[in-house]
Amino acid sequence: MRVTTGSRNVFNTLGTVTAAIIVLLLVWHAATAGTGLVSPARFPAPLEVASALEQIAVEGYSNGRWHEHVLRSVLLVTMGFIFSSSIGVVLGLAMGASRKIEAFVNPIFLLLRPIPPLAWIPLAIVWLGLGDAAKIMVIFVAAFVPSVINSYTGVRQIEKPIFEAAAMLDVSGWRYWREVLIPGAMPSIFTGLRLSLQAAWTTLVAAELIGAIAGLGQILNQAAQDIFPAMIMVGMLSVALCGWLMTLALGWIEARATPWRAR
Amino acid sequence: MIEPRLKPGRFWLLTAAGMAALFGVWTIAALSGITSRTFLPTPWDVLMRLMQLSVQPFVGHVLHEHLLSSLQRFGLGFLLAVCVGIPLALLMAWFRWVDRLMSPLFETVRFIAPIAWVPFAALWFGTGIGGPVLIIFMGAFPPVLINTYRGAKHVDRKYIEAAQTLGAGSFRTMTQVLLPAAVPSIVAGLRISAGLGWQSLVGAELIVASSGVGYLMVKGQAAVSTATVMSGMIAIGAIGVLIDVSLRRAQQAIEARRGA
Amino acid sequence: MANIVFDNVQRVFHQGGGEFVALQDINLEVREREFVAIVGPSGCGKTTCMRMAAGLDHPTGGQVRVDGIVVTKPGPDRAVVFQQFALFPWKTVWDNIEFGLLSLGVDAAERKRRIEHYIALMGLNGYERAFPHQLSGGMQQRVAIARAYVLDPKVLLMDEPFGALDAQTRVVMQEELVRLARQHPRTVLFITHAVDEAVYLADRIVVMSRRPGTVREIIDVKTVREAASWDALPRIEDVMDLPTFVHLRTHVWKLLRDQQGGDVH
Repeated sequence: MRVTTGSRNVFNTLGTVTAAIIVLLLVWHAATAGTGLVSPARFPAPLEVASALEQIAVEGYSNGRWHEHVLRSVLLVTMGFIFSSSIGVVLGLAMGASRKIEAFVNPIFLLLRPIPPLAWIPLAIVWLGLGDAAKIMVIFVAAFVPSVINSYTGVRQIEKPIFEAAAMLDVSGWRYWREVLIPGAMPSIFTGLRLSLQAAWTTLVAAELIGAIAGLGQILNQAAQDIFPAMIMVGMLSVALCGWLMTLALGWIEARATPWRAR
Repeated sequence: MIEPRLKPGRFWLLTAAGMAALFGVWTIAALSGITSRTFLPTPWDVLMRLMQLSVQPFVGHVLHEHLLSSLQRFGLGFLLAVCVGIPLALLMAWFRWVDRLMSPLFETVRFIAPIAWVPFAALWFGTGIGGPVLIIFMGAFPPVLINTYRGAKHVDRKYIEAAQTLGAGSFRTMTQVLLPAAVPSIVAGLRISAGLGWQSLVGAELIVASSGVGYLMVKGQAAVSTATVMSGMIAIGAIGVLIDVSLRRAQQAIEARRGA
Repeated sequence: MANIVFDNVQRVFHQGGGEFVALQDINLEVREREFVAIVGPSGCGKTTCMRMAAGLDHPTGGQVRVDGIVVTKPGPDRAVVFQQFALFPWKTVWDNIEFGLLSLGVDAAERKRRIEHYIALMGLNGYERAFPHQLSGGMQQRVAIARAYVLDPKVLLMDEPFGALDAQTRVVMQEELVRLARQHPRTVLFITHAVDEAVYLADRIVVMSRRPGTVREIIDVKTVREAASWDALPRIEDVMDLPTFVHLRTHVWKLLRDQQGGDVH
């Protein structure tokens, strides 16, 4: 490691990133289409992926066009996520604030927590079939646990002096929640939301892979059955893109919701 | 106010009440006859099924044989993640050009949920062991890489300078300074890694396996046997806890030895 | 053994768009087997001088040469003893001392011989398998010194090695270092801001000015020391009582005071 001298600016970093991506694309192309080192039956070449993307965007693939699939998946996740984390956050806050509630709910939690969200898929399918209901159930479970835990820790880690100040200022009831507990726990709550969103997204893709009519996971499933590697890649990149964008959106919301935090 | 701790009596009473509520409601719903017992078994039914699976083969194997299968895949994927992740992270932390080259690639791949690799896994490995191992690797790899990288990057400069003045080259500095210094970070990463790897295993086995606990659940679902599915869930949860507890113990032991 | 030559050395730092001159017109030689201490006010660049000799830093003008060879990177021929010890916390005392020897490719029998020699010399017997966090500050610095000495380096560079120790331990370490230095003279460049320490340990003292650092004056201690037989007195407090010692110390103090007076804060 050498001592760096000189300034680093945004363009410098952006430049190297772009360069790296370009190099990556070139190597990818060379390895697949260029030299045939990697057989196209196993891994698609960049141009194949581009044409598959065009296909799905314009003509459609597996019961829908690209944006229709994306919308379906994203909508499902967002609905499930909002539904689940709202309940989760409220429960977590309640458990944090009240020892009685904590003692009562905790055992149920300890039993549920070790079970990975994906492990709920077979059960959901048995009870609710292969439709959207099963997906919502699984997304619910996936998003629920991180929200509860992080909201709980969020309350617990609020420093004692803040509580003492609240007592002195005679803050109680609804105000207590709105102006002391919730803002204090906010950073943790958002960590929980981020984890919940990731879990929800991953779980949905898995659920759609197993059985769905449309959605990004379903594209992956269909492409696998059709042995269409380029389309598989389109599906994967779409999954990554949506995941990334949703995380970005959540970060944006977090910044608006907790303006007092130093970043 | 953060309430004062409950007295032990109160605490255990409420805990018991919570458990009772959970199992009570469940049992009542199961016994009420709304649906068949195979569709919604009582907790006792599930326990019985769990024991039954330990002695009576289901879809080819007894429960612990399935578990062994799963653990094998998990072990391989996890090991691979560690063997690739740690050296790569050290190289990235030490050589800036490696960092520049790998970081963008990593950041893109990272956002692809491990489960999304299933189609390629199926394409490349069929139902062989390679499929699940690949997916577990994809899940376990990022935390190992990130935590090792962070640990190595944050090594106190003075250790690196000391190593250089003592004549250590790049290899020795990476293995004898960066790596040991990063151990606490690495071990923390391993715990996360193991958790994610185990979860990814479950997902993989739901689709591309012919044995293992995930496969057991899928077949249980096909037979509409909730008790079988739930038995699988319990087994998965239990092993997951076991893995995490073992790693936590290891973490504590390492910290004690280093006198952190 | 080798010498250290600072030939017209200049060090300019670039910071936030501007630049400031840390060191200017540094010309000095540490002769073979000579113990030279550099003292000066905070920020005068004395540590930077040492780091350049070590190869951890580079002059922007001029050269630093050790044994006639220009210094470009760190190495075991210029062993460093750091103020913060910099012992590897994950290695035992033995392994710490052995570290540099492995880089030199010394064979196992010779390594064992050397390490055992210095463990005995530095009073570390019984602590071979201990980890740094189990040792006191003074013990840790002994290990650091052993780690440097065991390499039989051309030159020894010490950066305020006793600065992190408490007063009593410091005194003990100074006495030991004097013993070591007089019995096995090596080329040593010793950085300190403690005048007492410099006068007690060094053959010559280089007094630096405040930033931009230059060589203000070089004082010969050895002649005075040998004439007044300081080394005949084993205890540091007896030496510090001698009028010759006091006189030298006061001289250095006065030089430094002149620097401080001009400081604008």
